[in-house]
Amino acid sequence: MALRAVLLRQLRVPVQTLALASRKSQPWSFSSCIRLMSSHDDHLSKEQVIGRVLDVVKSFPKVDPSRVTPDVHFQKDLGLDSLDNVEIIMAIEEEFKLEIPDKEAVKIDSCNLAIEYVYNHPMAA
Amino acid sequence: MSVSTAAYFARRAAQKERVQILYRRALRDTLNWAVHRHLFYQDASNLREKFDANNHVEDLDAIDRMIAEGEARYNKWRHPDPYIVPWAPGGSKFTRNPTPPAGIEILYDYGREDND
Repeated sequence: MALRAVLLRQLRVPVQTLALASRKSQPWSFSSCIRLMSSHDDHLSKEQVIGRVLDVVKSFPKVDPSRVTPDVHFQKDLGLDSLDNVEIIMAIEEEFKLEIPDKEAVKIDSCNLAIEYVYNHPMAA
Repeated sequence: MSVSTAAYFARRAAQKERVQILYRRALRDTLNWAVHRHLFYQDASNLREKFDANNHVEDLDAIDRMIAEGEARYNKWRHPDPYIVPWAPGGSKFTRNPTPPAGIEILYDYGREDND
């Protein structure tokens, strides 16, 4: 009886350490089968963000896909209009399920800024 | 002379920003009204043509007047139940489950008592 109590006390594992361990580690390759404790911690990796943003820009009908690089400027390098800029940003919002405020969306002018914004956004999916 | 051109360019830049914000809101509203994608594409291209028709106007006051008209038309056509991303203000998940503060833990002991 006392031995059982001692053993059980040894095995008492608080839930908090598991949550901290899973939040601090990098997203593992099998992270889908691990239940993370908070709904805010699946961060996208930079390569994923870059790949998806470039796919969105390449699939825009007015853009030549071979000229798209991660640091291309929409209006200067790709020859787009400011309204095309708005359309690209809306497509990026739909891709990553984001809501970008109007004032900041107008300032996103190049792929660089878009990738940085999406990468630093906590709710990018 | 340079002061007036600087002011002219500043006004044009401000107007460009207003037009961009108006186009953005109008496009989103179009998506709210026309939920099906093929309808949305047609309506979006119509909207784009309307904006492009006035692309080359140079007179500042005329541009201001057209922007005001566009904003009035946008206010008239606003959707009563727009789609907002769930975690954004106005969405359904906004401030629903904030992240628990770090250091708070739940010790599951299932009613085990210490003298057991």
